[in-house]
Amino acid sequence: MNYEDWETVVGLEIHAQLNTKSKLFSSAPNSFGDEPNTNITTVCTGHPGTLPILNKEAVRKAVQWGHAIAAKIAPVSRFDRKSYFYPDSPRNFQITQFDHPIVIGGTITCLVNGKEKTLTLDHTHLEDDAGTCRHFNGFGGVDYNRAGVPLIEIVSKPCIGVTPKEITAYAKMIRAILHYIDASDCNMEEGSLRIDVNVSVRKKGETELRNKIEIKNMNSFNFIEMAIEAEVRRQINLYTKNPDKSQDELVPQSTFRWDPESKTTKLMRLKEGAEDYRYFPEPDLPSITLTQEYIDEVAKGLPELPFERNKRYMEELELTLDQSITLTQDKKLSDYFEEALKTCSNARNLCNWIIIEFQGRFKDTGMTLYESNILPENVAKLVNMIDSKKITGKIAKSVADDMVAMDGKDCEVIVDENPDYQPVRDEGLIEKLVDQVLEENPQSVEDFKNGKEKAFGFLVGQVMKISRGKASPSLVNEILKKKL
Amino acid sequence: MYEKTATELQHLFVSGQLSAVEITNYFLNRIENIDKKIGSFLQLFPERTLRKAKELDEKKKSGGKLGKLAGIPIAIKDNIHIKGERTTCASKLLANYEALFDATSTRLLEEEDAILIGKTNLDEFAMGGATEYSAFLKTHNPWNLACTPGGSSGGSAAAVAARLAPLSIGSDTGGSVRQPASYCGLVGYKPTYGRISRYGLVAFGSSLDQIGPFAYTTQDMALIAEVLGVHCPHDSNSLNHPKENIQGQLKQDLKGVRVGVPYHFLTNLSDEMKKSFDASISVLKNLGAEIIEINLKVLKYAMPTYYIIATAEASTNLARFDGIRYGNRNQYAMTLDEVYDLTREHGFGAEVKRRIILGTSVLSSGFSGSYYKKALGARGRILDAFTTSFESCDLVVMPTAPTPAFETGSIQDPVSMYLMDLYTVHANLTGLPAISVPSGFAQNGNPIGFQMIAKHRQDGFLIGCAHAFEQARPENIQIPSIAKEAV
Repeated sequence: MNYEDWETVVGLEIHAQLNTKSKLFSSAPNSFGDEPNTNITTVCTGHPGTLPILNKEAVRKAVQWGHAIAAKIAPVSRFDRKSYFYPDSPRNFQITQFDHPIVIGGTITCLVNGKEKTLTLDHTHLEDDAGTCRHFNGFGGVDYNRAGVPLIEIVSKPCIGVTPKEITAYAKMIRAILHYIDASDCNMEEGSLRIDVNVSVRKKGETELRNKIEIKNMNSFNFIEMAIEAEVRRQINLYTKNPDKSQDELVPQSTFRWDPESKTTKLMRLKEGAEDYRYFPEPDLPSITLTQEYIDEVAKGLPELPFERNKRYMEELELTLDQSITLTQDKKLSDYFEEALKTCSNARNLCNWIIIEFQGRFKDTGMTLYESNILPENVAKLVNMIDSKKITGKIAKSVADDMVAMDGKDCEVIVDENPDYQPVRDEGLIEKLVDQVLEENPQSVEDFKNGKEKAFGFLVGQVMKISRGKASPSLVNEILKKKL
Repeated sequence: MYEKTATELQHLFVSGQLSAVEITNYFLNRIENIDKKIGSFLQLFPERTLRKAKELDEKKKSGGKLGKLAGIPIAIKDNIHIKGERTTCASKLLANYEALFDATSTRLLEEEDAILIGKTNLDEFAMGGATEYSAFLKTHNPWNLACTPGGSSGGSAAAVAARLAPLSIGSDTGGSVRQPASYCGLVGYKPTYGRISRYGLVAFGSSLDQIGPFAYTTQDMALIAEVLGVHCPHDSNSLNHPKENIQGQLKQDLKGVRVGVPYHFLTNLSDEMKKSFDASISVLKNLGAEIIEINLKVLKYAMPTYYIIATAEASTNLARFDGIRYGNRNQYAMTLDEVYDLTREHGFGAEVKRRIILGTSVLSSGFSGSYYKKALGARGRILDAFTTSFESCDLVVMPTAPTPAFETGSIQDPVSMYLMDLYTVHANLTGLPAISVPSGFAQNGNPIGFQMIAKHRQDGFLIGCAHAFEQARPENIQIPSIAKEAV
């Protein structure tokens, strides 16, 4: 199969639940994981006589999002009714924005393999979420806690010639932006971020788009990447093996899901003709009219965004691309770093200690550094102790173990209380160790005298080794130089 | 006591001449005796009503401040919620549905110490013009039991006409308050869209629905309109307009008022109706009004426009009645599709189904361009025509209905029934305030109504003008003989 002749076309449709206090059209709490049907009012269950009242906080968050992606904020947008019958839909119509969305256009820029890549968005609209159907042994039930939770649906333009890796980079950047502006929790497992992709392929050089299929139910970025790859291969194989058949036969418009077991996309349903949702303007809600003053005021309150922060880390703090992306993709981790940076000037070391040493120590616990009791200034202090040669890097790793084990105990206190962590500053003792090393390694001494600088480092290492990492490296250096 | 207006009853109560319990028992007793023949009430809740009456008497005894509607029994159309009581919408589907909250309107009435006396009959989900389409019973016109009281708020109209309550509220989506008011010889008022909260009113056509009261007199109408006309945070379309002193705007004459008449729109009236209308115009002239002919030719599109928009909205508003969360689920349904199909098949009556199907069709993707979207355009044109007319006049007048009350069951063809809304639907399409006032009687003794329409938010002016008209012809206010029978 010659995949090189083909190009991939992917569109993103992302539903993000807004983390407002109450729902989009009612005062019911917007909260996940509670007992079924406890976070509901008569509006959420579509009781007769109820009317929707628009949540202003949701509008503000949608406008913030629009600013964050440099989109046009519609001065007038409106809601429509989208009719379909399903038990999780309490009114049997959804209130959404069909042809007058609140956010128009916008772009997502991110770095993929060091290159700047841009995804163009079509629009973002507000709508309310449905409830959830639950199936039990012998009966089914509906939980309306989620019904009415505010959503923004972010719809991209088709992205031509895109790689799966780029798509997940865009999706991750979208999640990061939503975190930065505090618009959504973006928890894919809890469903507060739901990413659907539309996938089609075409031969390079073709000008028309071929039929696309939609893939749903992917709850991790890995799965998205794998699903697109699998789907692209499936479509190319179909087209290549059946050159006589039409695309409507081979790739009919349909919805697939990702099956992580078989690592393939599985057909859910065909989209036979366009579904008729009978959209029309929602008569219970006036248009959303936003003044320029309001739009400007929201723009002023916008925080630093991940792409900007990334740039600042690389240009001002001289972090590497990888370091900087690891930090900025995770707003909470990045905020933790920022906090620690207030009392530590060695940004690169600090970053390493945060993203590698400490995050690594939490990897298997299901927790993260910023959720732990280890305060950012405590990590900063540890890095400062290394920089000031108060402890060696090796000791620092043990201290870090203790900080985790002792639930965030102050690293200075840990060092003070444990004699093993005091670097040996006894010159007489270090001199003895140096002498021992010089005696045991005549060849290295010879090499050094012949101008091999590397030999010096080796000798320092040997001294540190027999001191079990405790000798003060500066003293070792000093004494070794003198002796040689 | 039944001859007393609401205003008079309130005075009798406040001055201590009648207790709330006396008033309540009196009217409950009248209902029990007279309503058997009329069928205006679907349900009474005497325990609740008497409890409230006792509380009110105690409040009075302890010197509490009494509300504007203190001691006045008020009947409520059964598509408006009273918390804890059933709201059936005269539908089998909601026969056992208990309201979970008070409508803003019933709350406001009770806050002013009114006594809610019962829930009145209507066409199922307020769809109809004769109160014949109730799933439970037909309501008869107190002026002639063989005739319809009009609809859809026929129960609320008949109850007041038979003096079973001095005031009632209904809902008006295409004329459902004004038309029965005209058939029953009452004042019926449809406010500016958004003036009275729709919260707690079961929706039919959301952009058209308004709650509206029935009263014997414009004075009583002014009283209840003041109470109900307040901004409501639960209704996004509620007007942000201050409370109004309407009783202070009641006029004695119409000097300086320019009245527009669309004569071209009246050419199909019967001689009797035409004569009655001309007589009303003479009354206006005698009151000092200036009569101007206006052009509202676009009104010929009002009927189809209305039936497209109303049914489109209704088809989605009624989608929620699926038997899943509340309402009567069909007991034979085994699958989800059967729950939907059987519940709605057996729960809804023929007229409701007809309108749901009509509304679903006009919104479907193949048709919405030729129906729904065109109707929206026509709606705009109709509003434009009124706006233009209101540059040269302050009030537009026309009959409320093309005929007086007709015999129950005499109109079988749905389109002929729809045509009875000819003179009322435009006020809902435009959101303009409109009122029907009694303007005399047909030869067969059935009442006739006269309609006035004012500019947006000119509800006080509208009721004020209606008052001048009413004062000039006091003989138009009569009590039907059935109400005078000894009980």
